[in-house]
Amino acid sequence: MASADKLINTDVPEKDVFALHFLQSLSNLRTQSPLNSPNKSIDRVRKIKKAAYVSMARAAGGTSRLWSRALLRRAAKDDNKSVRFSRRKRKVTWKISSKRKRSNQRAPVVEEAAERLRNLVPGGGGMETSKLMEETAHYIKCLSMQVKVMQCLVDGLSQK
Amino acid sequence: MENELFMNAGASSHPPVMTSPSSSSAMHNWVSMETQSVDPSLGCNLFWEKSTEQSIFHSALSSLVSSPTPSNSNFSGGGVGGENLMIRELIGKLGNIGDIYGTLASNGNVSGSCYATPMSSPTPGRMMVTKTTTPITEFSGDPGFAERAARFSCFGSRSFNGRTNSPFPINEQPVATNEKMSRISSSPALKPLVSRVPTGESSGEFSRKRKAKSKQNSPSTVSPSKEIEEKEDSDPKRCKKSEENGDKTKSIDPYKDYIHVRARRGQATDSHSLAERVRREKISERMKLLQDLVPGCNKVTGKALMLDEIINYVQSLQRQVEFLSMKLSSVNTRLDFNMDALLSKDIFPSSNNLMHHQQVLQLDSSAPTLLGDHHKNNLQLNPDISSNNIINHLETSETRSFISHLPTLAHFTDSISQYSIFSEDDLTSIIHMGFAQNRLHELNHGSSNQVPSHMKAEL
Repeated sequence: MASADKLINTDVPEKDVFALHFLQSLSNLRTQSPLNSPNKSIDRVRKIKKAAYVSMARAAGGTSRLWSRALLRRAAKDDNKSVRFSRRKRKVTWKISSKRKRSNQRAPVVEEAAERLRNLVPGGGGMETSKLMEETAHYIKCLSMQVKVMQCLVDGLSQK
Repeated sequence: MENELFMNAGASSHPPVMTSPSSSSAMHNWVSMETQSVDPSLGCNLFWEKSTEQSIFHSALSSLVSSPTPSNSNFSGGGVGGENLMIRELIGKLGNIGDIYGTLASNGNVSGSCYATPMSSPTPGRMMVTKTTTPITEFSGDPGFAERAARFSCFGSRSFNGRTNSPFPINEQPVATNEKMSRISSSPALKPLVSRVPTGESSGEFSRKRKAKSKQNSPSTVSPSKEIEEKEDSDPKRCKKSEENGDKTKSIDPYKDYIHVRARRGQATDSHSLAERVRREKISERMKLLQDLVPGCNKVTGKALMLDEIINYVQSLQRQVEFLSMKLSSVNTRLDFNMDALLSKDIFPSSNNLMHHQQVLQLDSSAPTLLGDHHKNNLQLNPDISSNNIINHLETSETRSFISHLPTLAHFTDSISQYSIFSEDDLTSIIHMGFAQNRLHELNHGSSNQVPSHMKAEL
């Protein structure tokens, strides 16, 4: 399976890490605006969703994954904060355009699907197709973990 | 030099033959110190220990190590010819076995001088050093190869290559062979490590040798360097090719970091198409990975449909997150108003009624004390907490500190751990702490300011 595959590392931390991060972010949310208590439910939903994604990105390895980095940066930009990244060699994004010139030789079917995937996966715009698929695999694992955590939370809280 | 070898080969002893006191101590050191290295070198260790019966092998190897300077001059010079290449390769392979020669070098053994450069540091990082300093020593240790070398024990032989193709029939160590085989099965991913050969060698023979070695799958010492990853990356392709197409192989240039690809039979040799093929194989490999992840993708064949499935799956997961966050927000609005009720009732799906009431009582009675006093001074950390699952998962000191604020929570969590509903209980206990803490915040802003700042700082 993926974990046994030494070529591509798609290991994801345990559910507890995700749970911890998510709950911390939730409690932060609560402390942020106990007095304001935004009345519009949409705002709350958005905040919670954002907290979910950010906590997932942090739990999944912080800035060590391309998608998590892009996610965190996107979130920080919205809040007008700045994200601190560790020094890493960054792939230049215009690599894609130079490769796309030869797109007639790159299975157009695959490329078209890769385009759609790039729109879905955060940070996908600057990635080559093979790298994109690695990131997608990791992203899927983290997403499913986060969904499980949230599901448990909702179940636990909604029981009466 | 050869005479020396043969003389040494004659000597036999049950513990590995020591031709010099330094090497003997080194050998012992090596045998005893191989604890933390990765499995392949442990396998090497086993192999060594098993083959102590075969004294010739050991004596020959130790004599190889202790062979004096004439060989060194060959190595230190840039390859004079095929003979030197073979010698270098041989010594390189031997050199990497279990870091034994490094210790020998560090012990001041004369012959160690040829290994001195690569093996200067006694740390496992040495393997990295070897890889970067001398291309010779990039060969991962191959005990089988060393054994063959010992057998032939003729450094000057140009037909060395030809003799290396049949390791097993010559092998008179069935036990050792079994060891090798068992190790083979355990480390299939190490196949490519044996494929690193200098590109100067004749490709035909080397492709045979490489294949033979890949079949043996001798576990070699693994060093976590990028080059190995590259090799391994290319390995499935290489193995596939060797299975499909006979003699065409991919050789990996040890001097540079990119992969050399050889054209397959009957296919275009255009560099573009080669790169294209590599890329396509990478993509298909990753698609297989994704196929395992996405449920229900096994039936679908073909890249297009698979990718559509994957995209749908990602979309559905994202939609699920959104939906759950909506649900959570609606649940949260209720929570704001009714903390106590939640804490007491909602969290224990399987709890006993009796326990329930006890806990509720406990919580209510302790609430005023929590409110009234400063958290940190009055509350003691309940030792039971440490045995709780949750603590194992929450490794931060901050969370532990606010866990300590809520001793009654320990009772909750103890009861929770009795009910082995793993995920829900842990999560709900965590919720407990989160909400309880928040409740304290709301009621006691002054003293509780420090805690969220701790948490924020940590985040």
